[in-house]
This record gives sequence, structure tokens and C-alpha cells, in this order.
Amino acid sequence: MKLDSGSEVEEFRAEFAAFLDAHLPTPDEAGPASRSSADVPAWARRWQRTLFDAGWLLPGKPPEYGGRNATLPQQLAHLEELSRRRIYHSFNPQGIGIVAASILTFGTEEQKKRWAVPLLRSEITAALGMSEPGAGSDLAGLRTRAVLDGDQFVVNGQKVWTSGAHDADVLLTFVRSDPAAPKHKGISVLLIPTDTEGVVRRPFASMAAQDDLDFNEVFFTDVRVPRENLVGPLNKGWSVAHGSLGHERTMLWLSFAERLDDLIRDAPSDEEWYATLLMDAQALRLLGYRQLGGDRDPAELSVLKLLGSEAIQVASLNALEDRGPEGLVHPEVTGPPNHMSIDHFISSWFERYARSFAGTIAGGTSEIQRNIIAERVLGLPR
Amino acid sequence: MEFEFDEDQRLLQRLVRETVAKSRSQPADQLWATYLELGWLEAPPVELAIVLEELGYAADPTPFLATATWFAPLAGRLPSGSGTGVFDGTGRFVLDADRADEIAVLTRDGVRIVTGPELGAARADIFDPTLHVAHVEVGDLVPGIPDLALMGLAISTVGSCRRILDLAVAHVKERVQFDVPIGSFQAVKHKAADMYVAIERARALAYFSALTIAEDDPRRGRAASMAKAAAGECQRIVFRNGFQLFGAMGFTWENELQIHLKRAKAGDLLLGTAAVHRRALLEKTRQERERSGPQGERSGPYRETSGQEGVVTG
Repeated sequence: MKLDSGSEVEEFRAEFAAFLDAHLPTPDEAGPASRSSADVPAWARRWQRTLFDAGWLLPGKPPEYGGRNATLPQQLAHLEELSRRRIYHSFNPQGIGIVAASILTFGTEEQKKRWAVPLLRSEITAALGMSEPGAGSDLAGLRTRAVLDGDQFVVNGQKVWTSGAHDADVLLTFVRSDPAAPKHKGISVLLIPTDTEGVVRRPFASMAAQDDLDFNEVFFTDVRVPRENLVGPLNKGWSVAHGSLGHERTMLWLSFAERLDDLIRDAPSDEEWYATLLMDAQALRLLGYRQLGGDRDPAELSVLKLLGSEAIQVASLNALEDRGPEGLVHPEVTGPPNHMSIDHFISSWFERYARSFAGTIAGGTSEIQRNIIAERVLGLPR
Repeated sequence: MEFEFDEDQRLLQRLVRETVAKSRSQPADQLWATYLELGWLEAPPVELAIVLEELGYAADPTPFLATATWFAPLAGRLPSGSGTGVFDGTGRFVLDADRADEIAVLTRDGVRIVTGPELGAARADIFDPTLHVAHVEVGDLVPGIPDLALMGLAISTVGSCRRILDLAVAHVKERVQFDVPIGSFQAVKHKAADMYVAIERARALAYFSALTIAEDDPRRGRAASMAKAAAGECQRIVFRNGFQLFGAMGFTWENELQIHLKRAKAGDLLLGTAAVHRRALLEKTRQERERSGPQGERSGPYRETSGQEGVVTG
């Protein structure tokens, strides 16, 4: 145990900080704003390409995938440096963090060239088709069917909550390819271009605003997908889901830590809840750093998600209540203006609280996280 | 930062666990002799925290906590025999003051060392019969709680909470109602999970406090209050959920749960509850902000702020 992180990490951090100072788009260059998690304006594409070319997009990857083979603590320093300045390195976060990551882990060389590299270079954008009307927490219960017909799959069914789908070029879609197998063993993963005949996308607004369009319903009617778009082995989609989401979850706690830091800066208070917020932010970072040591039970990531997302929710509520009737005001400046962030959460204190439920619902609800902790960490019977 | 135990620390943790488990039913003076022999009193802060967590887990009956974290930081040395400290400005509810060989007293003129027999403090009646607490009659007392004392009580309390969780988990795995172990019910699982998360959080902050003391980091004052407040918040959840999960059996004298519930609760009530230390943390954070100026208050993409951890702790 020691407080400093070593010169190897600090030199890396300093190099990246210097790069950001030299290359970050100015507010004048940064327009228009992104409208969804797969809407990447031309200036933001140029920015992501700059990061890719310099090996600063995904530093843990080799140079051909926008990285520089950095160590895990260095990758953390990279993300910290971005979050400290409230910068998103991609305006299509699920495209990079989940879709490209899945293809790099499970895809063929051909798929990496055709899909992953263009995603990383921001030439195309992607969305993730997992949830369905009948498959949320019970994701393995998904029913969108894919039937192999010669060298093509024929896909029928429906996805929902598909963030950014209406602006995405391709959907990483989880489908049922063997209805006879037990539910975890009959799932496959397909890359489905959104301009394929039979794909219909319907964005719908969140409670935040009628024109806040990120969620989508996606309908598939006799959609023909070439067999070469299968990611990973046939019927092994569940392990792709675990692998790709697992990768995302390893660093998910950091985004919660960033939100907590934002609240610390944006909502200073003399009330006791603010002390709890300071403690939550510090504890989450400590537990996250410990996770970097490796050899940890992956179920312990549930501790980080539960602690982080619930802490944000409590602090957001307290920040709202601190304002009394002033908390009604919308829109309201609740944080510094920032052209490099896709967060809309600064629109009002109410909205910040409302959006905190994304953390406790998406990616496995708090209730599911508690089940995982109880069963896999504490060993309680299923 | 590196927040994993190193190899030596893991070895120490294993040794302490084994020693404590082996000597569970030994009388206090025999345990005390063992601790002295193993040199645990001389352990630096992080290693001391490792020892104290396990002693908390075992509801240690010796004056180890008071000697290592109440006497030593005040006196700047270890006592001959056992010791404790008077540093909250009142002299009330001093851990082990009835049986300590030496007592370090913080007065207006600095630290004064008196012998226990000289002071002759009588043990106070409290709800925890395994804990020694006494009121001390000395003049000119001033407050000045050492960070190490807050950290020590915090990590001991975390140890008690871990024990309560372990007992509760073992109970709900065994207790059958409606033909299934009650631990299979989600209402029960979620209580247990909340206990676990609260413990992990408090434990991390207690070790962070130990680490800032070990490295004499400027955040040590705030970290000590965070540790004490988090341990208090943790025992609130763990006491409530652990007691509740045991059903009526937890309310009996013969069930060992009661010992650890009382230790956990006492750990919060001594040296300032969670609420007291939340307010102390706010005050220390405010003072820190005033010292360092407005920097780090708000930041956009171009605004250089202080380091991440600096932002987190104010």
C-alpha cells in the first residue's frame, strides 16, 4: 500500500496532459453539439481520429487499434486525466467501449478491419442491441430470432432501449439462434447494418425533454444478415455478452467516480450529506484502485457499481433538496459549460437527479447487483 | 496510488488471523503476552490497522487498542505495560483507564504522563461488559484527538461489523423456514449485500486513513474523520440488518452476536459518532479550501485543477 502511483504512471499522465493541451478542440471549433450517443458531428469525428492516430484513444491496445500497449494503471491515469477535464474521448461511447471492444476480443481479423477499426477511427458509429420488451434483467430470455438460411441469417424480432440506434451505422445485436437449447446456450451475436432492408428504428424521448431522443425501439422483419457478420462462435453469444460487458464493467466505476467528483464541485454544501458524498467518492476510488491489482473476484465489481450509482443518486437528490423551491427551475446551469461532454445532466438539478436512475437501472439494476453480491461473494443460496 | 496489501502485509494478516483464532478462549493477560511477544504494538500504522481489524473481529479483551492508538501517539512512546490516553478535553469514557499502567493526559501545558494506580479511576458501568471504560479526574484538560486513535477505533469497528456479517450469513444459510434456507429470499440477500458494501466502504476509508498517517500526508486529518464517520455509518447498517436477520435468537444473551453488536455500537459512540465526524470533515474541508484558495472548485476542459484525489477530499 502506498499513496503515490509511481513515476511510470506519472510520466505517462504528464505526456497525455501535454497532448490534450495542444490538441483539444476549442469551444469555437466544437459545433454543432451531439444529439445522441451515436450522433458524432464532423468536428468530434476529427477529434476522435486525432486521438486514434496518436495512440491516445484506447492506450491499452496496440497502435493499430488506437493505443500504445499501456499498463492498467496507465490506462486509469488516461481516463482520470480525461475526467478531470470532463472530456469524452468518444461521442459514441458504446461504439468504442462495447461494440469495438467485443469485435476486438471475439471477432475475426476480417471483422476487425471491416468494423472495429472504422469504429475506432470514427468513420462509422454503432449501437448495442441487447434489451427487449421481455428481456431486461433476464437478458438471457431474449427472443429475437435468427434462422440460418444458406449463408445468411434471417432475423425477426424487436429490441428496445437501444441507445443511439437511429444515428448508428451498425447494431451489435444479440439474437436467439437455437430456440431448443437452454436459454443461455442458444444466443448468438450479429453485426446488423442499420440500412439493411427490414430494419426499422423508432427513437422515443426520455422524461428529461420531449426532444431528448437517444432511446430507440428497433424492429427486425425478415432481415437478411450475411453469415460472416456472426461475432464469436454460433450459440456462444452469452460468453460474448459477458466478455464485452465485463470489459466495460472493469472501468465502469471510474465514470461513477467522475459523477461524484462533478457533484462535489457543482453542489458544495454545509449539510452533512456533503460529507457523505466526500466519503463515497474517496471510498469508490480506493476500492476501484484495489480492483486494478488483479486477482479480484469479478463479482466484486458489483460492489463498485452499487456503491457508486447509489451514492450519485443520494447526492443528486440532496443537491436538489438543498435548493428548495429553486430546485424547480429548468433549464438551469448546474455545472460549468463543457463542449467536450455528451452529458445533458447539467440542464437542471431535477434532471441530474432523474438521470441518476440510469446508474441504478442500466447495466444490471441495483437489485440484481445485490443478488450477485449475496450469492457470489457471500455464498447465499440461489 | 497502490491500494493492495503487499506480500508482507498479507502474511501479517494471515498470521494475525491464525493467532487470534487459535487463542480465542484464552484469558486477557495471556493474549496480551502473546501480542507483546509478536511485536504487534510496534507495528507502523497500516500494519497496526491490519492487527486491529482482526482484534476487532475477535472482540479482543485486552487493552491493545488503547495502548497502541490512545497512549502511544500522545506520549510518543509505548508504555511500560499497558496504556491509554485522555485527549477529548473531558476525561469521560476513557478506554481502559481503570486498568492501564500508564496514562498520557493532554493538558493545557502539554502531555503529562501519570500512572494508572496513581489516578485510581473506577470502571464505569456501560452496556458492553467486555469493554473497559472509566472517567478520569484531572484538571486543565484540552481536546486533541490523535488521527491514529480515530483510525484505530474505526478499523476495530469494521472488524466487529465483519464478524456480525459472517455470523448473520452463516445463520441465514442454516435457518430453514417455508422449507428453504431464509438466505434464499431476496429480502434477506439484499440486507446482507448492503452490510457487505457498507463494510467494504468503511474498511477502505480506514486503511486510507492509516496510509495517510503512515506517509504523513496532508489529508490525514480529513481521512481520519472519514474513517471514523464511515465506520459509524457502517455499524448503523450492520447492527440493524445483522440483528434483524438473526430474528429473536440475536436478542439472547447466549448468542455471541450480542458481544459484537455491543462492540460495534460502542465503536461509534466513543470519540464522536458518524454525525460528529461528518461535521468535522466538513469543517476540515472548509479550512483546507480556505488555505488553498478557490482552485479546484469548478473546472471546465481548460481549467487546470488540483489532482483528482485533492478534488475528492477537498
